[in-house]
Amino acid sequence: MGPKGGVGDAPVGSDTPRQKGKATPDTLKIGCIALVTKDGQPRRAEILSIRETKSGRQFYCNFDNFNKRLDEWVPVARIDFDQDVDWPSLEKEKPKDNKVKKASAAPKRAQPSKKAQKKVGKREQSVASEGQTPHPWTEFTENLAQAKAQGKAEDVEDKAVASLEIGGTPGVGPDEMELDEDETPAELAKKERTASFSREEEIEKLRTSGSMTQNPTEISRIRNISKVEFGKWVLFPWYFSPYPEVFSQEDRIFLCEFCLSYYGDLKSFSRHREKCTLQHPPGNEIYRDDFVSFFEIDGRRQRTWCRNLCLVSKMFLDHKTLYYDVDPFLFYVMTTRDDRGCHLIGYFSKEKESTDGYNVACILTLPQYQRKGYGRLLIQFSYELSKIEGKLGSPEKPLSDLGLLSYRQYWSENIVDLLLGYSERDEKCTIEGIASHLAMTTQDVEHTLQALKMQVYHKGEHKIVVPEKLRQQREKSKLKQKRLIDSERIQWKPPVFTASNRTWGW
Amino acid sequence: MATRKVRYKKLSVKTPLTVLREDQIDPTEYESLTNEGQISTGVDHAEENEYHLQAVLQGAGVAADKEIPVPPPEESTLNFDHLYRQKFSKTSTYIRFSQTVEECIGCMYDMTEEDDVFLKSYNQKRPASTQLSEDDFERVMEVFEDTAYIRTPFASVDQTIVSYDEMFQGLQELDAAKVMPHAKQVYEYWKTRRQALGNRPLHPTLKFELHQESDEQDPFVCFRRREVRQTRKTRARDVQSADKLKRLRKELEEGRQLILAAHGRELLKLEMLKTDRAIYDQRAVLKDHKIRLGIKTDDEDLVNQKPQKRKAPEAPAVQRPPPPAQLRLPVRPDGRTAEADLAQLSDRLAEKENELRADIAKKVQNHSEWNKGHVDLTRGPLSPVRGPRLDISFRPAKTQYLMTPPASASSGSLEEPMPMDLDEPEHAPPAFKFRGVAQDEQSMANPPAYRRRIGRLNRLWIDRRGLTSPPRDSSDALSDQWKYDQSSDDEEDVPIYEVDPFDTRALKFRASIPLPAWLLSRAHPATAPVGNRPSILPPPTLPQTITQLHSTQNQTTITPPPAPRTSPSMKTGP
Ligand SMILES: [Zn+2]
Repeated sequence: MGPKGGVGDAPVGSDTPRQKGKATPDTLKIGCIALVTKDGQPRRAEILSIRETKSGRQFYCNFDNFNKRLDEWVPVARIDFDQDVDWPSLEKEKPKDNKVKKASAAPKRAQPSKKAQKKVGKREQSVASEGQTPHPWTEFTENLAQAKAQGKAEDVEDKAVASLEIGGTPGVGPDEMELDEDETPAELAKKERTASFSREEEIEKLRTSGSMTQNPTEISRIRNISKVEFGKWVLFPWYFSPYPEVFSQEDRIFLCEFCLSYYGDLKSFSRHREKCTLQHPPGNEIYRDDFVSFFEIDGRRQRTWCRNLCLVSKMFLDHKTLYYDVDPFLFYVMTTRDDRGCHLIGYFSKEKESTDGYNVACILTLPQYQRKGYGRLLIQFSYELSKIEGKLGSPEKPLSDLGLLSYRQYWSENIVDLLLGYSERDEKCTIEGIASHLAMTTQDVEHTLQALKMQVYHKGEHKIVVPEKLRQQREKSKLKQKRLIDSERIQWKPPVFTASNRTWGW
Repeated sequence: MATRKVRYKKLSVKTPLTVLREDQIDPTEYESLTNEGQISTGVDHAEENEYHLQAVLQGAGVAADKEIPVPPPEESTLNFDHLYRQKFSKTSTYIRFSQTVEECIGCMYDMTEEDDVFLKSYNQKRPASTQLSEDDFERVMEVFEDTAYIRTPFASVDQTIVSYDEMFQGLQELDAAKVMPHAKQVYEYWKTRRQALGNRPLHPTLKFELHQESDEQDPFVCFRRREVRQTRKTRARDVQSADKLKRLRKELEEGRQLILAAHGRELLKLEMLKTDRAIYDQRAVLKDHKIRLGIKTDDEDLVNQKPQKRKAPEAPAVQRPPPPAQLRLPVRPDGRTAEADLAQLSDRLAEKENELRADIAKKVQNHSEWNKGHVDLTRGPLSPVRGPRLDISFRPAKTQYLMTPPASASSGSLEEPMPMDLDEPEHAPPAFKFRGVAQDEQSMANPPAYRRRIGRLNRLWIDRRGLTSPPRDSSDALSDQWKYDQSSDDEEDVPIYEVDPFDTRALKFRASIPLPAWLLSRAHPATAPVGNRPSILPPPTLPQTITQLHSTQNQTTITPPPAPRTSPSMKTGP
């Protein structure tokens, strides 16, 4: 398996052998995997960055199988130096380690050995014996459900550490390591350390010069903004966002709630507030009820505002890319009104022309408005627009974890409602019928039916069964009187773009 | 679930499915088709198995209380009400808005904490009246930053700092009195700030693409331009492009030729001016000689003779022979002779006009010839013919009687309703029909006549004909208000109503106003031709031939005048 093959977004080093050994706060370096206390539990974590603060050295940790938004800077005290750490994989080293490199880069198929299950990280185990153990450390979830069922975090940890090699999982079998038999792993580790010395120097240099990481591709794995003043709220970003580089050094940044302009110091921000006259998103209002408004913003016309919006949302969306400009998108922005203006709750973006039939590109509810049912309104609105367009729509993939949950909830509620109607009227339904009624794609309908275990095979026929618990759940949630979009209030026509838009690929 | 059977029929999206509640079917009788492995969640593969997500997904449909933990937001300690002071009033209709962020902000420079320190200490040293306000400070800084951005786009690389002199132009656009006394010092401050920041813009900016290779990996580089979509290359496209290029080339060449020609012309003009100048000088010399030698002659040869404006012929000579085909350039010293041979524009125009008139006259004659004896009785004849029948209801006006239209005429028109004048282009060519020439012989030949008829909607119309009015005065001062103030014997001064009564707009307008009582009692029905129908040509210069033709036409229909003409102010009963 090539170093960059297959696993795609899997964390660095997951598909290559790792050297194990003890580390100290001074030798622990970027790329190491150590046991770090998280919420009172020890958890494997990859060190992504190191910084010096007044209170001592801190390590930026990405926790095994936790979303990146839970990454954090931890002090030395939270790292268990009694346990072995996995040293960074060798593939990133300089070409002079070509022996090792050869081994890891050998395109041999991984050995799907169910017996390879091994406990690691035990103090008494020798470095040499462990060193040859391939360790794809992210691939452990087979046992997750089971572990969770037991409800003990330790067990989860255990399983996580002792992860199985699942069939087909890229990894390097022990036989491949034999190529390096002439060198003991300890020697290898030593060599590797010396080899990376210059790299460490480099890191040190970068560290003292203010930059936090050594590798440009890793910069984006580390949250660069720690705190955001936004209207009445302080937000704690989840992910990297390409705000001006100097903002990385600020304790907090300030965003204007209306024009979304960004400031590194309070004086500039206050001065801006003296002058800024914007009080709502700079576009046309296309929906209004007592509760929220929607605005339609053209990325091309409102480039600055839409860029600013993307920078904000990138702090909370991992998979959003700001690689390209905002021109080919329309932004549908949901706001809540008060005597100061229309405050941004969330938005979704939509390609002006989607070749894949997506009706949503990115979708976000700002953290201060999450878990209040706004996500559902955003999703509903996106489907209402699709209904007006007479198209079936689907959100662009990948979804975030929160995105998936919101969509699943929206889909299941609407499909269950529809199915109960069919059931009461004793009518048959088709997947296509459900899809066109809800402006959903048939794949999404099937996906939901399967996820909710509603598709059954009974007496030689495909049927749909609405589980009792879903029915009850629906009854309950209906009583809560959730807010909905009133499609009558939408004042919108599908925008038409000129030939030049298409020619230029916008 | 464990053993999946192959006998399942394929499930199509069009397959009608029975929908059952869980309690309507025995759980042992059915198999769920769910196969977890086949559901694609749409979440990124590397994240699909994340602990918290899986925890929620496993419990999906049971309880929604499981949530994915996120860093919680906190309430800000900043003074929101102070920072966001501007009140918002809800509009009654949906907001429509197209201003950009830049347009909503005003001055784009926002002073930083460092600027604040500088400005405070700067202002401390001077009296309140000459202090620099924060707004003005920002405006000045904005000029510096903008100018630097335009003049030195690579400032951070080549480290050039825009000089104060170069800033001057931008500063001119500000309020000089308020700003200029401070500008130089602010500039020095600006310069130190720039230098401290590696000559980068003072406001932190996003990183945009510069070098494709180094940018590619840089996560701070964002909002790249999208590559232009490749248009497919085809032979037709190539031909099209080649044609376009050829045309462009041709047009550019034409432009070039035009410029060359213009250049040549200007050179010739210069030459001419020089020659004129030489002639002038020579004449001055000649004059001197003449004076010295005492030669007394006409000095005509010493000035350029302006070609004399030929007076327009009183009666354009139709017979005028065509001008000589070849034109000689007038010889300057005796320009007059050349002038005589030249055809004058006015001559040509008059000639053309005469030809035109003769032609029209001939056509009219022909037309009436063709239509002799033809009576078109359709309601709205397409080309009504002027014939005896049409004009039969016109009666000569006789002043001996009270002007009441005879009853017989009225009954006659009732039997055969005539089309309204408005529908009849019968007066063609109208230009010559109602000319306003008040020559006595003509008015004798064309005595006033009237008819009464009933038009649409049973409206009563009085049509009149043969009324004369004096030549039209071109002065616009003549106003409508005098129209009915003429005494009946002062016929020479009957004013001309400036509006063409047959103009569609005028007709429409009149149709929209109900006749006021006073008008009904005093005036003719509005549409009656008021003596002079504005003609295309000025009335007094009507050529003889046309006039004759006209009168002959009318003579067939109109009885000779037994009485003097009446003025338009006579009363008519409705
Ligand atoms: Zn603003």
